[in-house]
Amino acid sequence: MRVGLFVTCLVDMMRPRIGFAALKLLEAAGCEVVVPTGQTCCGQPAYNSGDRESARALAIKLLEEFESCEYVVAPSGSCAGMIRTHYADLAGESEALARRMAALSSRTYELTDFLVNVAKFDKVPGDYQGSITYHDSCSGLRELGVKTQPRALLAQMPGVALHEMEGAEECCGFGGAFSVKFGELSAAIAEKKCDCIRATGSDAIVGGDLGCLLNIEGKLRRMGDDETQVLHVAEVLAGDAKGAR
Amino acid sequence: MSSREDILGRVRAHLGRTESNATSGRAALDAYLKARPQGPRPRIGGDLVARFRAKSELLSSTVEDVATANEVPQAVARYLTAHRLSSQAVCWPGLAALPWGQAGMEVAARPATGSDLIGITGCFCALAETGTLMLCSSPDTPAAMSLLPETHIAIVPARRILAGMEDAWNLARAELGEVPRAVNFISGPSRTGDIEQTIVLGAHGPYRVHIVIVGGEG
Amino acid sequence: MHFKARAGQKLADVLLQENLGKAKSKFVGMRAKAIVEVDDFEATREAGKVLRNRALDDLDLWLEQFEQQATRRGANVLWARDGTEICRLVIDIARRHGVKKVTKSKSMLSEEAGLNLALEAAGIQPVETDLGEYILQINDNEPPSHIIAPVFHKSKEEVSALFARTHQRPALTDIQALTREAREVLRPHFLSADMGISGGNFLVAETGSVALVTNEGNGRMVTTLPKVHVVITGVEKVIPTLEDLATLMRLLPRSATGQSISNYFSLLTGVKKPEESDGPEHLYFILVDNGRADMVGGEFAEMLRCIRCGACMNHCPVYQTVGGHAYGWVYPGPMGSILTPLFTGLENAIDLPQAATLCNQCGVVCPVKIPLPDLLRRLREKQMERRLRPLKEILALKIWAWVARHPGLYALGTRIAVRYLKWLAHDGVRNDRIRILGMATEWTRGRDFPAPEGRTFRELYAARKGQA
Repeated sequence: MRVGLFVTCLVDMMRPRIGFAALKLLEAAGCEVVVPTGQTCCGQPAYNSGDRESARALAIKLLEEFESCEYVVAPSGSCAGMIRTHYADLAGESEALARRMAALSSRTYELTDFLVNVAKFDKVPGDYQGSITYHDSCSGLRELGVKTQPRALLAQMPGVALHEMEGAEECCGFGGAFSVKFGELSAAIAEKKCDCIRATGSDAIVGGDLGCLLNIEGKLRRMGDDETQVLHVAEVLAGDAKGAR
Repeated sequence: MSSREDILGRVRAHLGRTESNATSGRAALDAYLKARPQGPRPRIGGDLVARFRAKSELLSSTVEDVATANEVPQAVARYLTAHRLSSQAVCWPGLAALPWGQAGMEVAARPATGSDLIGITGCFCALAETGTLMLCSSPDTPAAMSLLPETHIAIVPARRILAGMEDAWNLARAELGEVPRAVNFISGPSRTGDIEQTIVLGAHGPYRVHIVIVGGEG
Repeated sequence: MHFKARAGQKLADVLLQENLGKAKSKFVGMRAKAIVEVDDFEATREAGKVLRNRALDDLDLWLEQFEQQATRRGANVLWARDGTEICRLVIDIARRHGVKKVTKSKSMLSEEAGLNLALEAAGIQPVETDLGEYILQINDNEPPSHIIAPVFHKSKEEVSALFARTHQRPALTDIQALTREAREVLRPHFLSADMGISGGNFLVAETGSVALVTNEGNGRMVTTLPKVHVVITGVEKVIPTLEDLATLMRLLPRSATGQSISNYFSLLTGVKKPEESDGPEHLYFILVDNGRADMVGGEFAEMLRCIRCGACMNHCPVYQTVGGHAYGWVYPGPMGSILTPLFTGLENAIDLPQAATLCNQCGVVCPVKIPLPDLLRRLREKQMERRLRPLKEILALKIWAWVARHPGLYALGTRIAVRYLKWLAHDGVRNDRIRILGMATEWTRGRDFPAPEGRTFRELYAARKGQA
């Protein structure tokens, strides 16, 4: 399977190790992975802010970069969701473009969804030892139906004890630009999420979207919690995260 | 231009209304009114009376069974005594002939007023799906009887317990022709949850609803 | 004052935060239990969407059908363009019938119109009878904070103090006792009112009827006892048949409060016959536009399907955190964030479409499948088109998009940015977070900003490939 890896702008800038973890997992699953080097942004910030013109331009750029791949995989429910569910909306009048967008959308997956449902991956290399709780990101869950997939992969790791938190499916308050337009409100919502996380007593909170994770990590640390690890599911599955400190 | 013409005019404009699509639209409307298709309904199989009883109790109504209509007054009198309630009541005219006096009750067949404490009604039918009474207003079945008094006693013939609301509408069309002035579906004592989302029974309507099913197997 | 400023106040309101915390779990949990009973709730939601669209797609024809049937049964059908006209019509009716006192059961449209104040100015006494609305009325006409539970934001202690003050009675602390007291206070009003005003959950075209969904009994009191009954409701409320009503009655109570059916569900048609002992002698429908007619057939038409259940706000993380008053008008939560700009003007509600994470917790519970986040996004597009967003924001987006279309520039820019951010994170003690980020104080007021690794994936990947 020829997979185009879309690392996402947040991973590119903030946590490259997540990109490398995704790469490692896809290769372990038997995929030939290409990383189009001109990739930048999927256009979601522009789209959600109402700037269709910019969003469309970025969508066309991404289409051209990834069109030749058999699959497009991103370690992000948010970006995969954008490509999969909203690119069709951006095609506009052109029927040809609409067809190409639809084709791309149908081949685009969030990482854990791809590993479970397409690659049927059952040799997770990770060896994390400790207790974790999982945050279901809104776009991953409600746009893409990502729920059981990360849990199925984590279940392949005997050292992982999963404690579900109350409100795992509730929004963490990030919401992209929302976090910097309504910062106080965003932080207040994040605090409730962090309370639920801490109530599980887990060593780590794990999720599939870096935006959510940065929001949660920032809030935990400001709340004085330097212990709870904040990890992307790719890191845990790839064996980059070892366990509680 | 009247408000009516202004509002309807804008609605028509936004819908792209033309004479020709108005004609086809009205035809479709008439066809739909005639067909009256039902939406998805939950399966309500088996013993409708038992389900009605169970659902009514979940809604905090109390329910008992008697075999015949003549046994109703005794059952009601027992209920009122057990709850230390008055034995003076008002009822719909059609229920006046039941043997209330023999049961030690004083029942007047007249419209309820603000000071009547016990109101006794029958029902047009009842719904097993949700434990609901359906009362239809008429000169002999006034709506206020089930509303003003603090206690509402409802006499429900078992054969009038239907599965769901759609069945009730069909029965009303068949027996009454058109809907009466007031159809009231009643599901238990009045309640409110406005203060701290805590349910309290007995808001502005009755505090309690006691249902007597006649001719069921309970 | 904008939403953002109000939201800030609400976040700081300790009592409100406590009340909101208690309320949230009740509505959310109860709805989840109730929908299980319906066998196939998803199919029922789809049916609800289809039947609402059927009426809206031919709204003029269905309204005419309703008007014809209602008139045939003895009602007067009037039309109102806006709130001012609603008030004028109601006062006319009241004067015509010598009305001194009006009892009201819940009508959100009367809130849109400011009807109570207009009635008082005209020398007519309005008495709210829905317990929550009554509490608000005696608290100096405080606006409701939720469309189903108007005093969602109040604790019983606040209600107790209010009753003690207004009723001149000792303060009670028990919720049941408070409810009894309200019953005793309001009962004489029910029995002496000349006119009852209600809203209408649905208008049934088949029979010319109004359907009322209530629990307390006040709705029935208000529409049975007085000699005049006025129904005020929006033109979008019309539905075709009684069967459609039955479908909606499986969706509405469950989505709103988690009940299988509301305590009282009334279908009212026409006036009382001379031989009847109760019911109104005069029935008026006021069908209201106030922004609805112009949504028909347009980009936001799907919002007209709304059946006013409140599920969206119950499940919204923003509403759960600030409550309804922050939204500043009659309708809060996701549906309010869409209707307020549409009804009152986009320029008057600048923050509302932005004050959402687009999490879609609302959309998945909407009983008639309104794509709420999509509509919010569309409002954001309108704001962009009309330059209603700060220039800084518009520019930031344009610059980001431009840079992102030039990968070489993007690569360079991001390499510099991540090194700078990583450097900012060194404060001598730790090096993994930034406490104050000048360009993003909105973020760092309430959270730390985790430090980046310091290199971009792109450059590291290129380096690895170079080595290989």
